[in-house]
Amino acid sequence: MGVGATHIDHIVISSNDSGTVAQTFADNLGIEIKRKMIRPGTSAQLAFAKLQEVILEFAGPPEVKPGEEVKARLWGLVVAVDDIDSAVAHLRDLGYNVGDPSKAVQPGAKIATVKAGTAGVPFAMIQYNALPIEGATA
Amino acid sequence: MLTKIHHVGVVVSSADEAMKFYRDALGLEVTADRVIEDQGVRGVLLQIGGSEIELLEPTRGDTGIARFLETRGEGMHHICFESDDVDAELEGARQKGIELIDQKPRLGLAGMICFLHPKSNHGVLVEFATPLKDGHH
Repeated sequence: MGVGATHIDHIVISSNDSGTVAQTFADNLGIEIKRKMIRPGTSAQLAFAKLQEVILEFAGPPEVKPGEEVKARLWGLVVAVDDIDSAVAHLRDLGYNVGDPSKAVQPGAKIATVKAGTAGVPFAMIQYNALPIEGATA
Repeated sequence: MLTKIHHVGVVVSSADEAMKFYRDALGLEVTADRVIEDQGVRGVLLQIGGSEIELLEPTRGDTGIARFLETRGEGMHHICFESDDVDAELEGARQKGIELIDQKPRLGLAGMICFLHPKSNHGVLVEFATPLKDGHH
């Protein structure tokens, strides 16, 4: 019995300049940056690459400070689950502190954060197709 | 060519403790659990989809993993990209002028592996791996 994790959905790389870090990864590793966006609410600058099922998310602040050394670190993991409500209930039954599932940035997705007990890794679970997508028709 | 994320490495103070979450609570399968004596580390790989999570517990105090744990605490340590030709990846990185840790691939838990210096990627430690044909060793 587990949470029904299907794959690593996101690996988050946090930095003070997400655009530069994403471009360095693209240049050094030959991966393609497929999308850039500003996170609604926080205005964080995000860039994304995808290798098969796993998304690399490069996250940084809204403003880059000129002249500051660019520093990045691996920050956290998001895993995809089949049923986020069941996954949250399962972990709570085991005593884990898990936030309530909430609407994710990704259309139709819900996300919940495991707040402790993850060996120092900021950790969340996401379920796609958990909510009706606004504007979509049957 | 890098084809996928092979694994993410997570430094832990106790792999047994960490497995209470990753194996027991999440339900991930352990595919390898081995002490690598010359590196002073116990490595545990857990399958999740087409990738793995690698738990790294130092077994002595004079290693990079032990120093990471001492200075930064538990957390994500490196990201490993899979390639079908780790030699070619390493040579390609060398030709680009990327600073390397390993000058040639060596045997690791994920197969034949090599590490780029984190300076090359703004502080993020990157590994390349080509799994052995018979899987984990």
